[in-house]
Amino acid sequence: MGKRFHFVIVVFVLLLAPLFVSTALGQVQTRLRIIEASNVGSSIDPALRDVHDQLGSLFNFTSYRLLRDESLSLTPNRPSEINAHQGVSLEITLTKQQKNKAEYQIRILRQGSEILNTKVRLSPGRTVLIGGPKHGQGSIILAISARS
Amino acid sequence: MGLEEADLISRCQNGDQAAMKEIFDEYRDKVYRIAYGVVRHREEAMDIVQEVFVKLFRTMGNFKGKSSFYTYVYRTAMNTAIDHVRKLKKSTSLSFEDEAERYLSDGPEKRPDQVAMDKELEEKVKGALAQLPDDQRAAIIFREVEGLSYQEMAKAMGCSMGTVMSRLHYGRKKLQQLLRGYVKEGGKT
Amino acid sequence: MKDSCSSISKLLEKYFDRETTADEGILVQDHLQQCAACQAQLKSMEELRATLRAPVDEAVQKETFAWVWQKIEREIQTREKPSWRESVRAWFGLSFPFRRRVWIPAVAAALLIIAIGSPLLFKETPSKTELSIVEYVQSDTNNVMLFESEREDVAIIWLFERTEGESST
Repeated sequence: MGKRFHFVIVVFVLLLAPLFVSTALGQVQTRLRIIEASNVGSSIDPALRDVHDQLGSLFNFTSYRLLRDESLSLTPNRPSEINAHQGVSLEITLTKQQKNKAEYQIRILRQGSEILNTKVRLSPGRTVLIGGPKHGQGSIILAISARS
Repeated sequence: MGLEEADLISRCQNGDQAAMKEIFDEYRDKVYRIAYGVVRHREEAMDIVQEVFVKLFRTMGNFKGKSSFYTYVYRTAMNTAIDHVRKLKKSTSLSFEDEAERYLSDGPEKRPDQVAMDKELEEKVKGALAQLPDDQRAAIIFREVEGLSYQEMAKAMGCSMGTVMSRLHYGRKKLQQLLRGYVKEGGKT
Repeated sequence: MKDSCSSISKLLEKYFDRETTADEGILVQDHLQQCAACQAQLKSMEELRATLRAPVDEAVQKETFAWVWQKIEREIQTREKPSWRESVRAWFGLSFPFRRRVWIPAVAAALLIIAIGSPLLFKETPSKTELSIVEYVQSDTNNVMLFESEREDVAIIWLFERTEGESST
């Protein structure tokens, strides 16, 4: 009886451990992808296959190339500046983090001057695409998304 | 269940000690046979008999008559005997010499070498039974020791007759393997 | 039914336990007269039964139960209540194989349901006011277009270059 009881307890803990772990951490991970979108050629970067449908339905560009893909380690209320491409930089600040939700203050800067200031709320599965700054014959798109 | 037994049970449920003694006299041999069949030791078997009847009389109020009373008794006896084996970590409490003396005092016609062989065989049987899964062990004891029919066994064990036959088959097969060279012919060595 | 050793061997145990029908019994008896292997198997079962039974018969004959009854009487007279486990077990009338084989899978199944269901039960549903990804946008230098997709999992902020003569709104 003792051994069976211990076995049941171990099974119980193992089954529920992932729930406890995810609940305890509750952290939203921030992913930044910098994409070059253009009408030169018709290739889609293999690394962007997961968002190709989204991009295709939202934009008329024929070609997408992934320039950078990183997971951001953000400290709450401390801005992080990331050089996006050719004078365009991104300043991102994690302003609020709750279970499965995060709020960011985002500034886009060109040559050090602010061209965009926005506040967004992201939860796993949600993405904000910030685009427009010219890059060659195309545009830069910053894809900021959250994952658990 | 006969009317007489139903009346006895009803009286037991009302705390009638004379009725309890009648129930005890009626079923004590059956319970002892089950207990001894499992533990193969007289003193342990008696402890189990005591435990079974105390349990029966204390929980008599819960007996609703859905099954026959003897099925209820057999089930309780087997549960208790199996639990007893599980709790017991050490081997028989009596030394070999003590056991031999008991045999001698109870039956002066038995020769010492016969006593020794009987003792060795019982140890072997006990060990072999302990290697069976509980359900196969129960089937073997119910059938080989107590002589219950397949139907009675099915009721006592809460399973189908097909399952009873299967458990008996595999239990016998295993015991035959384990006891090869030790089994008695016609009850005698 | 085929009168062969393999089919008879299935009936042999039933025959040994006196559980065969009349026809089955005759079939087995006829076969046993000709088959040494089945005879040996039957004998083996008889020997096993004798080995298991004889010591029990011997022991029960030697026992006196008077002192056991005295001990039982004393115990039940103290009127101790049965443990909750004994009461539950007696109430359900569980046989021991059924008891063991039911509660372990039942507990494991319940734990599995809790483990799978808990995240769903406790999952937060965002309120309507929180559905929007973008809280605000501001640009002093560019025209901004904000587009939120129908699925509400993608928002697009697009910066348009201003032509000469345009000013911020």
